[in-house]
Amino acid sequence: MVSGKNSKAVRNARAAVVTRRSVPWGMIAAITVVVLFAGFIFGYAYLRSQENEAREAAVAPFTPTAEKQDPSIDIPGVQVVPFQGGQHIDSPVQVAYTHSPPMGGTHDSSWAACNGVVYPTAVRSENIVHSLEHGAVWIAYNPDQVAGDALDVLRGKVENQPYTLMSPYPGLDQPISLQSWGHQLKLTDATDPRIDQFIAALRLNQYAYPEPGASCNELGPPNFSRANPPAFAPPPAPGTPGAEPETAPGAGVTPDGQ
Amino acid sequence: MSGPSTAPDLEPAAGGPPGPRPAWVRVFVAVGVALGLLLIGAAGGLALGLPGTSAPAVPAADSVDVGFAQDMTVHHQQAVEMASWERDHSTDPALRQLAADIEATQTSQIGRMQGWLELWGAAALPVGGHMAWMSAPAGGHDGHDAAPVPAGGLARMPGMASSEELARLRAATGPQLDVLFLQLMLRHHEGGTAMLAYGAEQATMPQVRNLAGQMLRSQAAESDYLRRLLAERGGSPLPQ
Repeated sequence: MVSGKNSKAVRNARAAVVTRRSVPWGMIAAITVVVLFAGFIFGYAYLRSQENEAREAAVAPFTPTAEKQDPSIDIPGVQVVPFQGGQHIDSPVQVAYTHSPPMGGTHDSSWAACNGVVYPTAVRSENIVHSLEHGAVWIAYNPDQVAGDALDVLRGKVENQPYTLMSPYPGLDQPISLQSWGHQLKLTDATDPRIDQFIAALRLNQYAYPEPGASCNELGPPNFSRANPPAFAPPPAPGTPGAEPETAPGAGVTPDGQ
Repeated sequence: MSGPSTAPDLEPAAGGPPGPRPAWVRVFVAVGVALGLLLIGAAGGLALGLPGTSAPAVPAADSVDVGFAQDMTVHHQQAVEMASWERDHSTDPALRQLAADIEATQTSQIGRMQGWLELWGAAALPVGGHMAWMSAPAGGHDGHDAAPVPAGGLARMPGMASSEELARLRAATGPQLDVLFLQLMLRHHEGGTAMLAYGAEQATMPQVRNLAGQMLRSQAAESDYLRRLLAERGGSPLPQ
């Protein structure tokens, strides 16, 4: 016990001796400079990344990318149904579409001209669905509910715009319905911001339609002619003799396997 | 902390020899170093996301991406050549519609592939043999185990028409032209499937895999349509 007490006292005494030293101001200054410098670098990187995020959010909130192939999932109300492409019929065969308006499936071998075309009268759905397969967005409206200023607003989104078309759709259950291949959004208001969001997310979205690169140009008579388009007819009920089925949903456009 | 006994030691010992620092200095050093490391680490993490700090991925000259874009350009180019001839010379509306579709679609797809090659600093067209980029272990899990491509590549890709066949196409008229076009285009589509399937699986860029997969699916559906049109016109498919 005595020796233990002694050794402890010695240790304390030694500690008191060795810690009684001058303050290393040089090292303190150096560390302060390093920390300030690190803080400056962090502050710069932080500000730059904030700017970057703000710019991305402002410019491209609904632009498809390899990482986010279908930005329409962020738009409330969009219905998504996968369809297989490339199933053709020829006039006068009708397809028993199950969506109104149709948004994909079997279609006529001639596409409807879709480079900024505003059709004044209702057009045969089998031709328009082929336009959707080529990457177009179709604005359909109920002619009994949309007219005047609202119609002008919609027309302004179509005229001179490639891969965009518009036509009345008799019997539509909402004033406005937007279609791209396998996508649909029904709306009541022509000024709804979701219209531009839908177009940004889906028109020519290479991940969302079957035939990247396909044309919207008119071939002209005896094929499809925008001056004299084949007339609209209500779709036959599924199972009607002579009617072609819409094709079973499921195969569809699948994102690349990763 | 060394306990209360160190408190009086904070006063500098006049004339004493230099030695270990007071406790608050040690704390200052420890906190300073930790803070500095944290700030630099956090700044580095943020910098990873800044534009211009990470170079875009560029596939190498011998990559699947470059080889696919070059060879599929050549393959597509012949389809465009045949389709534009058929569109201008057929009298059958269904065939003119189909030919216009193939011509426009494959011309646009060539543009995409050429744009990629330009950005990657790669040659627009392949030199020497074709399909040497399909050298990774063949087969895979989906059964596309075509014959292995020799090291130097192939002189002519599957499905390509010969010069004599193209001359016969240009010389043909009427129903004979339509049947020959359908035969050559069907064989052309089917000959490209091995390259498309390989590109859809093995390319590194997601955009390349996506386009190859879209071509594979849409040309398979179009081949069914070609077969139907051919049968309706009394023709039969050519051997591959």
